[in-house]
Parts: sequence; C-alpha cells; structure tokens
Amino acid sequence: MDKNKIRNFSIVAHIDHGKSTLADRILELTGTVSKREMEDQILDNLDLEKERGITIKLNVVQLHYKAKDGEDYVFHLIDTPGHVDFSYEVSRSLAACDGAILVVDATQGIEAQTLANVYLALDNDLEILPVINKIDLPSADVEKVKKEIEDVIGLDCSDAPCISAKTGLNVENVLEGIVKYLPAPKGDKEKPLQALVFDSYYDSYRGVVVYICVKEGQVKVGDKITFMQAGKEYEVAELGVKTPNEVKRDRLEAGEVGYLCAAIKSIKDITVGDTITASLNPAAEALSGYRKMNPMVYCGMYPTDNARYNDLRDALERLQLNDSSLVFEAESSKALGFGFRLGFLGLLHMEVIQERLEREYNLDLIATAPSVIYKVNLTDGTYLMIDNPSLMPDQTLISSIEEPYVSATIMVPNDYIGPIVELAQNKRGIYKDMTYIDDNRNQITYEMPLSEVIFEFFDKLKSVSKGYASLDYEPIGYRKSNLVKMDILLNGDVIDALSVIVHRDFAYDRGHRITVKLKELIPMQQFEIPVQAAIGNKVIARTNIKSLRKNVLAKCYGGDITRKKKLLEKQKEGKKRMKAVGQVDIPQEAFMAVLSMDEE
Amino acid sequence: MIDHLYIHVPFCHSICAYCDFTHQLYREDIAVRWLQRLKKETELCNKEKYSTIYIGGGTPTSLSDDLFEELLKLISPYINKEKEYEFTIEANPESLSEKKIDLLIKYQVNRISIGLQSCNKDLLKLMNRHHDFNDVRDKVNILRKKGINNISLDIMYSLPSQTMADLNDTLDQVLDLNVEHLSLYSLTVEENTLFGKKGLKSLDEDTEADMYELIEKRLSEKGYIHYEIANFAKAGKESRHNLGYWHYDDFRGLSLGASGKINNHRYDNTKKMSHYLNNEDIIENDYLLSKEDMMFENIMMSLRLEEGLNLLLFNERYDVDFLDYYRDVLIEEKDNLLIENNHLKAVNRELLNNTLLSFMK
Repeated sequence: MDKNKIRNFSIVAHIDHGKSTLADRILELTGTVSKREMEDQILDNLDLEKERGITIKLNVVQLHYKAKDGEDYVFHLIDTPGHVDFSYEVSRSLAACDGAILVVDATQGIEAQTLANVYLALDNDLEILPVINKIDLPSADVEKVKKEIEDVIGLDCSDAPCISAKTGLNVENVLEGIVKYLPAPKGDKEKPLQALVFDSYYDSYRGVVVYICVKEGQVKVGDKITFMQAGKEYEVAELGVKTPNEVKRDRLEAGEVGYLCAAIKSIKDITVGDTITASLNPAAEALSGYRKMNPMVYCGMYPTDNARYNDLRDALERLQLNDSSLVFEAESSKALGFGFRLGFLGLLHMEVIQERLEREYNLDLIATAPSVIYKVNLTDGTYLMIDNPSLMPDQTLISSIEEPYVSATIMVPNDYIGPIVELAQNKRGIYKDMTYIDDNRNQITYEMPLSEVIFEFFDKLKSVSKGYASLDYEPIGYRKSNLVKMDILLNGDVIDALSVIVHRDFAYDRGHRITVKLKELIPMQQFEIPVQAAIGNKVIARTNIKSLRKNVLAKCYGGDITRKKKLLEKQKEGKKRMKAVGQVDIPQEAFMAVLSMDEE
Repeated sequence: MIDHLYIHVPFCHSICAYCDFTHQLYREDIAVRWLQRLKKETELCNKEKYSTIYIGGGTPTSLSDDLFEELLKLISPYINKEKEYEFTIEANPESLSEKKIDLLIKYQVNRISIGLQSCNKDLLKLMNRHHDFNDVRDKVNILRKKGINNISLDIMYSLPSQTMADLNDTLDQVLDLNVEHLSLYSLTVEENTLFGKKGLKSLDEDTEADMYELIEKRLSEKGYIHYEIANFAKAGKESRHNLGYWHYDDFRGLSLGASGKINNHRYDNTKKMSHYLNNEDIIENDYLLSKEDMMFENIMMSLRLEEGLNLLLFNERYDVDFLDYYRDVLIEEKDNLLIENNHLKAVNRELLNNTLLSFMK
C-alpha cells in the first residue's frame, strides 16, 4: 500500500472539549461504523470509561477515506486518554503518530491540559492541526479562541476547521485537514523492520496481543521477530488491523498500524515502548521509544477475605498486561494481612484499577490511603525511600524527611482567583507566578507537595471555581518538610494501615478530623471503641464509638421473611466490604478518611 | 399439613403515615368485586381446616356490615373446630361497631387485635390516625362484656418527636386495661409511606434502645411474658397464629398482597387490585426454597422467640444434626447463643442480627 496515502494521528484535548464525540463523527463519516451501529463513544470500550466520561485505555482503529482530491486514504486513529493522570499513556500513543488533532472548545478556550498535550505532541515532533469545536453553542467565541491558540501556543489557526462534533457541522473539513496538513509516515518498507510496541493486552486464546506501529520495513505472518529491548524471539502467528473489528492481514508495512500475536505467554515478556525487528535481518538500533513514567502514588490493596490473596495476584498480573504503568509488589500489614503495594500514575488511575479489580475479577478489596514516596534521611547519613507510612522509622533515627513537590499550573477566570489562592494555601502551596491568558483568564503557578495535590485537590479546585478552573502538574523534585507520622489507634491498638504522614503544623487539626470521621464510618460493636490519633506515644485527638445496643428487625411475620432476609443479605454483603481487625470491622471508606479534608 | 390461614383485607378509610402494607381507600363497588374474587380463591383451600386463622389488613373492619358478614361467613367454615382454635381479626377502634362485634361472635372469632399505636393525641395525629385512647378503652370493655377475652393491642414507639415521658404515659394507660396481649413495634420508616415521603425519621439508636428496655421492664413487672422480640403476652395467651410463623410452619395466604409458604415454596400474591380481580394466576413471586434457605429462615424466625429454636424438631425437619452442621457458627457466636433443653436461644435478642449474619452462608 502507498504509504503517502496513510495518516497516523491522535486527537488530543482537554477533558470534555469533545475529543470522543469528534472520534465518533469521524468513524461515521468514513463509514467505519454506521450511525445505527454506533454506540456512544465507541472507542471507549471499557465500562468504566463510559461511566466516568473519560478515556483511559488507548485503542487504535483503521479508517478509509476518499478525499476531495479523488484519492483513497487510510487513517489510523490512535485514541489517547484525556486525564492528567494518564499523560504517560498519551505520550506513548503519540509516539506511534505523525500528527495530532488538537480540539479546543470554542466556549472554554485553552485549558491546562490543552497546553500539556500540545507540549507532549511537540516533544514527539508531531504536526498539529487545531480544530475549534462546539461552535454551535451560543457562548462560542471562535475568533477569541483562535487568537488565544495563536498567542499562547503559537499555532497558525487561519485554516483551522471550526466544527460542531455534536451536530456533525464541518467535520468533513477535519478529514480534509488530516489529508492536507498532517504528514504521511516517513518509513521505507525495504529497510530492516522497526516496529514500535505502543500497547498490549492479554487474550486467553492467543496470548499477548501487541499493538504496533511499523516505522520501517515490513512484517509477515511466519516471520521470526525479536523484541530488541527484551532480547526475546518469537514467530509471528497473526497480524491484523482494527476497523474497529479485527481484520486479519498477512503483512504490515512501514506506515501501518495494527496488532500482532506471536504466542507470547506472559505480559512480562513485553515492554511497551520496545522495538520489534526481524530476527534474520535486524535493524541496527531500536527506536528511541519513550521515557517510562514512574508511579507517583502508592497504596496497599488487600482482599477482605485473606483466602483470595492469590486471586488478587492473578488479577493484578492480568491488568498489568494492559497497563504497563501499574506496578505492584507483595506486602503485609499487621491489621490487614497479606496484600500488595501498588504504584499508580495518580489517584484516578488508582480508583480505576480498584474498580476494575472489583468488577471484572469479583474481588472485595480494602485500599489504604494513597501515599507519595518520602525520602527519609537518617541520622547515620543514609536514607530510605518510604512509600508506606507505616514503615516510617522511629523518630529518633530520622534527621529529616523530604517529600516530592510539583509545579501546578492552574487556569482560572478572574472571579475565582480568591478561592483558588485560599485552597492552594491550605494545601501548602507556594505561589510562584500569575500571567494573563486574556482579559478574563489567568494562569497561576504554585509549587506544592504532591501529597496535597493527589487527594481531593482536583475535586476541590473544580468545586470552588464552579468547574471553571483547570489543572496540570509536573514533578519538580524533593524538598525538606516538617513531616511526622501520625498513628491511629482503635480500641487501644495501632492500626498500621491507617497511619498517615502529616505536616506537623496541621497534625492536631487533621488528627481531630480523622477521629471524628472514623467515628462516623466504623459501625458500632457490642462494646465501646475509643478512636485515637497519636504522634509517637502522645495522643493528640480522641473520640469514642458508642456501643451497639439494639439491631434486631422491628417486626417479622410470615409475609416479611423474603424482605427481611434480603436486608440481612445486604448487610452481609456490606460486611464483606469491611475488614475485621481484631474485634472491629473497618469499612473501606475509613482507610480513605485519613486523608479527607472535609469538615464534619 | 397446612395449619394456618392468613387473609388480607386491603382496604382502609384513611392511610396511616407509617404503613407500607398493601392497602387502598375503601370503595364499596371494588370491595364487592374483591370479595367475589376471594371466594374463588378460597377454592385453593379445598378441604383444609386450620387451627389458626388471621384476618389482617389493611383494615378488615373498614368493610360495610354486609360485606363484613359475608367475609366472615366465607372464612369461618375453614376453622378446625374439633380442637382448640384461634380465629383473629384486626380492627380499628373507630370502625369496630357493636354490630360488627356481634358478627364476630356469631362467626366464632375469638381473638381481636386493635391498633392503638399511642395514647398521645399529637402522635396519633402525626400518624394520621383518627381515634384516641378512650375509643380503644370503650371497645375493649364492650368486647369483654360480650365475652371476647383474648384482646391484643398494637403500640408503636421511636416515633418522630416522641419522648420517654410520652411512652411511659402510653404504657401507664395501656397497662391499666390489662389486655391479654401486646405488640410493640419500633418505627421503621419505609420509603413509600407518608413518613418516608415527608423525610421523617425514627429516633436515634440510643433512645430507641432506652425505650425497648423501658417497655420490657414495665411489661414484665405486670406479668407479661416477652415471648417474641416485639410481642408480650399473659401466660397461655401468645398469638398461636404468629407462633406458626416463628416456628416456620407452613401457612396459606389469601387475597391481594398476601404471602404463603407451603413446603419448599413461598409465594407472594400480586399487590395490584386490577390484576387480582381480572386474572386466574395472581401469584407475583414464587420462590423455590432450598434446604439451606429453609434452615436459615427457620433459625431467623425462631431465634426471635424466648423459647428459641427447637433443635429436635429442626433435626427431624431437615434431616441434619444441627450441632454438627453449625459447629463453626456456634463457636463464633458462643457469647451470643445458649442451648437449654434442646432449644437454641439468643442471649441478647435485641442484637440478633449480628448472630443471624453468622448463620448466613
């Protein structure tokens, strides 16, 4: 196939600017999926994504388009996630592309993640086609947004398609724009094979299925191939493209994007970002791939039923096949038994993984509060990296503690600057800079501890700005902070899984809030339970959970049996979501409560 | 053998704020058709005779005198008069006329359950009830004069805004009447009731527990036996019909919204009047119960009783050895259970739910 007729691209956008809707229209216009068959946002094929309106897992689809120049083109649309947690996944899908469509909402303008995505695309040397979306809305201001893109990003918007992805208005201009402004892949099919692995998933029948973008050369069914980084050799069993259904092919050539199966048994044999080459005629060097992003947030996950430890391990291994950014290792807790320490890109990533484990693998889990990695400098001159507060060494052995900081970029309209500044200060933010984007909008930069950003900051930012503020952040290294480990005691026993690292100045306030919150969340038992927060041996806050005196069903006659039994079954289910620690049942929410800032 | 029959009368003259039983406002023309349909339904009873029959509601006394007599005439023949029987009907004080009382006697009803709920006028009004304590006292006296000496009163507590003093006052007046049986229910606000729609709530757990303890103390001082969690009776005056439920015996339920259990089937009749009147098949749910289901439900019901669960009967009924089958639960719940005279009993019946969850597989 003529590679000049191929376009490999992604759509990038700030969340809710209409990326998935545009993808739907493109699928319809190219006849890939008829309107009748179209499920909303067909590329988002994980249940969770549909529910949360976000795209997490990237996917690829091949489209056929007859352009106005009369030529037939093949597009590979590579989907990218739209949330700040997943910028690593965005970067790996962009590595498979030659161009990107930048969707900007005509009613909102540039947002924090618009910029972050543009920088990622520029890092990958992609051509960018700006598209102004939602022009059908009354509050759309196309000229203003165009000017913003030109001023802030420096992209020429004179030929930018102005569309409504929702109604389909002018979407064909986007398709023409792809043909006209985005480059064809550069590769040469006669050169030695270089194919970039940009995603993989596990299939019980075929083993690991890898998504590849063939940059140079060609690969055929039956070829012997080598994964250059892993050094492993396989024979190609199946090749194909997604349209979006899988269509088998006997070869893939430079410029094409598709999938490959080679009886690869374990996901561990595959590194996303690796280069596949031909074993008989190997390329001299691997593609540059991309920087692997390290997890920023850690938490413990434990099955409520200890007997399901192995099921949890199997499930994590399966998930890791599709999500190389997930890391885990075994750990144990005095309170919770055997489980795993998991590393995530961010809190949303953590929530998504937990929900998938529970839904797809039918596991009841307890997740401990998320933690960043602390650098603990010891008095003997050495240091420890601690991702689990309960493993913090004794205070007398510590000379100082450092925590990761990020530079947080917040875009916000004038009216909400006050509340945002107050919120950032409460989260230990250090003000750095404020610039104007236009008459009404500002970009504020804070340096903040990552631990304060990961939990509730994004939600609170949205709520104090009525949804208008947007956020992006990047790590800027470690800094010393006056931190201290706070333990939580239930019934006199330290519950290791509830320990939390707090700033000393906030310790009393946090201790009080946590104990009050736990009192609400932990069900009453037949005895009184003291709840205490302590630093070292010093108790700094205390409350009591009163004892349970009566819980029997009010009345129960012949006609009530079914209903009452269902009620008990529901309670039994609820109990399964709790972890029995000593004589106390602790519900999942209690483990998150230690980070909650809510006043209650 | 089915020894118990329940008949549901789904009509009321007004709707109580806490009630989520099947009910509708009384209309004579609908009641006539309902009774015709019920007549047909009684064919299911075939030649069965029951040692207990319970006509509940709704408000059975909301029927007109003619329909009321027709209902009693229809049901009365199903009593097994060869043995000591119990034939109960529920009544509201305002619709229990002397005429109706005479009909009860004529058709051999020998137990009356009257809804009192409270002696506090404000609380009665809040519940949308249109009577007071004097009405109830008058009806009790008439019933006794006419020879009905098995009377039960329903009382509710943990009502919105109710105080301990309110409850004490109600108990004072109720105990003066010295009726044979008392049922005391803590309020559970169900969503589709007037209370639920108004967002009213029962009292906090601590106050409710205080009230429960007060009730138990005051009633036992007066010689009532706390034979079931919500029920108190003078010796020998326990509700035999309801004991049937708690012993997990089979029972037949007739009419709109009634349930029954026969062998390993439990069924719920439709709650829709139009469906009931116009269809042959009126069963809305039919549950096939496994042996494990039945064992659990039996435990759930019987542990509500002071006498507890009869283990010999249980072993015979399900062909198991209870102590062996539930060994783990008995160890886990050793502080909450005891065995006496081959009966398993809950030590703290007011905390029964925790124990039941352990029995649930």
